[in-house]
Amino acid sequence: MASDKPVLEISNLHAGIDDTPILRGINLEIPAGEIHAIMGRNGSGKTTTANIIMGHPDFDVTDGTVELDGGDLLEMEPWERAREGVFLSFQYPQAVPGLQVGNFLRKTVAAIRGEDVAKGAEFRKTLKDAMTELDIDRSFLGRYVNDGFSGGEKKRFEILQLMLLQPKLAILDETDSGLDIDGIRTVAKGINAAVRGTDSGALIITHYSRILEHVQPDKVHVLIKGRIVKSGGPELALELEERGYEWLETEAENSA
Amino acid sequence: MDAASLYKSLDQPDRADHLWRYTPWKRVHPSGDLDEIPIAASPKLTLTNLDDSSALVGISVEEGVVGAEVLPESDEVTASFIRAAAKESVYTLRVENNFVSNSPIMLDIDTGDSNCALHLTLDIGRNCEFELITQISGAAPWTGFLRTGRIGDGSILNDVVIGHTDTGILLRVDSIAIGRDAQVKAGTVSSGSERTKADLRYKMGETGGHLNVLGSILSAKEMHLDHHIEIHHDAPETFSRLDWHSACGGNSRTVGTGMLRVAKGARGADAGQLFHNLLLSDKAEADSIPELEVSEHDVVGCGHGTANGPVDEDQMFYLESRGFDTEEAKDALIAAFLNSTLVEMGSEALHSWLAEHLQEELEDLNS
Repeated sequence: MASDKPVLEISNLHAGIDDTPILRGINLEIPAGEIHAIMGRNGSGKTTTANIIMGHPDFDVTDGTVELDGGDLLEMEPWERAREGVFLSFQYPQAVPGLQVGNFLRKTVAAIRGEDVAKGAEFRKTLKDAMTELDIDRSFLGRYVNDGFSGGEKKRFEILQLMLLQPKLAILDETDSGLDIDGIRTVAKGINAAVRGTDSGALIITHYSRILEHVQPDKVHVLIKGRIVKSGGPELALELEERGYEWLETEAENSA
Repeated sequence: MDAASLYKSLDQPDRADHLWRYTPWKRVHPSGDLDEIPIAASPKLTLTNLDDSSALVGISVEEGVVGAEVLPESDEVTASFIRAAAKESVYTLRVENNFVSNSPIMLDIDTGDSNCALHLTLDIGRNCEFELITQISGAAPWTGFLRTGRIGDGSILNDVVIGHTDTGILLRVDSIAIGRDAQVKAGTVSSGSERTKADLRYKMGETGGHLNVLGSILSAKEMHLDHHIEIHHDAPETFSRLDWHSACGGNSRTVGTGMLRVAKGARGADAGQLFHNLLLSDKAEADSIPELEVSEHDVVGCGHGTANGPVDEDQMFYLESRGFDTEEAKDALIAAFLNSTLVEMGSEALHSWLAEHLQEELEDLNS
């Protein structure tokens, strides 16, 4: 049964790295079944937000809370967050030479969804179907994780994991970068399949509105200098596409 | 002169030598009294086909047959010492010309529980094609293992030696010639003994020889694993690569020293060596010293390199974000690091056997 709590609830989040503040009071709620987008220029704090939700050890949270289904994420190790249902599709996924994709997928599914889900004919079928949907060749399974992958292959591989892991919260950090238009369509299909009609939520982090043409967000938030300065419906993404970020920066400066 | 007399006539090794810099002879001698040559027992040898129990035809182990001599390029002290200790333990692995096996051949060497020595000659005929896993296991306090011999012309051999003794000292010497146009992968998987000193020398004395030397070394606790690899390019158009991965944890130490010699006249030689070390604890130590001696100008390439580092934090975070707990992520990265060389050692069947072996070793070390 779905909880009344939002999937993700961030309150007054302040965080930084090496005593340099990056996030200056973020508030954000993503209810079950909704897809939200965070847009902003480089350096606005988008990737930092994603990393803090996932628990990257380089960042220090100085104030605020981050809750998943009402549970305190900040008290958990990254792997505990993953097992609770947080998934981050990385902007730059790490290569792990020597670790075979097939082996890695079995282990991650076993860790997050349980040993039983990661074996047997049903898992093989789910894997095969997801790979077909994402147009990923079977030979992928014998390659090493992200090693020698093209930019597009890395992003498809992240989405393959999203589809297999079925997280409560999917964070997609610049998943559209490095993808051509066909790749964006394919990946968007994967995101929609993983979130729409489920109790999960998703947070899409992006510069551009391109991916949002294929994954309709319920809400768009604009992040400037570590603060969400404006939130709106999908039309806000189109407005940003037309007008850029400058007008919002000016507004933010005037209201500061 | 017999081996014992030869050993006694030699000067004791000098620590200034490349070979003895990190592991003095005294530390890998069975008693520490360098004049003493112990009576060593003979190990139990079993030759089987890894995948089925069918009788082996064209390949056999013959007892008491003294095969090839030690190459002049090899270190006389260790080779003569093991020959003397293995006086009653001399075998030849004889492989007929054109022998082919689709599944790996397993040579089990069970050392038993007392000092043990073995001189094994590889007498591998022409145009053979097979994979050989030599596994040294047992509880001997000291094991000396000398391999001499030649890989026949045109043969394709994946030759993997696994040092898997429970504890004790393993002194291993390879002194092997690569035949004309032979293609050899010489793998070492080492994870068991308390102390290992291996001196592996390959002579590329005939045109067209192709050699890949690969190491997957896992050390933990108080282990000291020292591997010296020398490749001699004496003939034209010979190719070699050395790729050596050591993962080093606890208070352990790994040493990898390489020597690549390209003789005058070895035109078109192509040789390279790389050592990679993964440091798993603050107290672990890994030393790699690759050296080159190139006397021929007309070579395709001769290079060497070494890289040391701890477990990559970004890789750790990636795996943790996928639900691997900290220990699981670390183990997966160690296995991946060692697998990079393991996977190059041979076929899928061989690799899957080796990967399983490695996984068990990792679990043992964590227990």
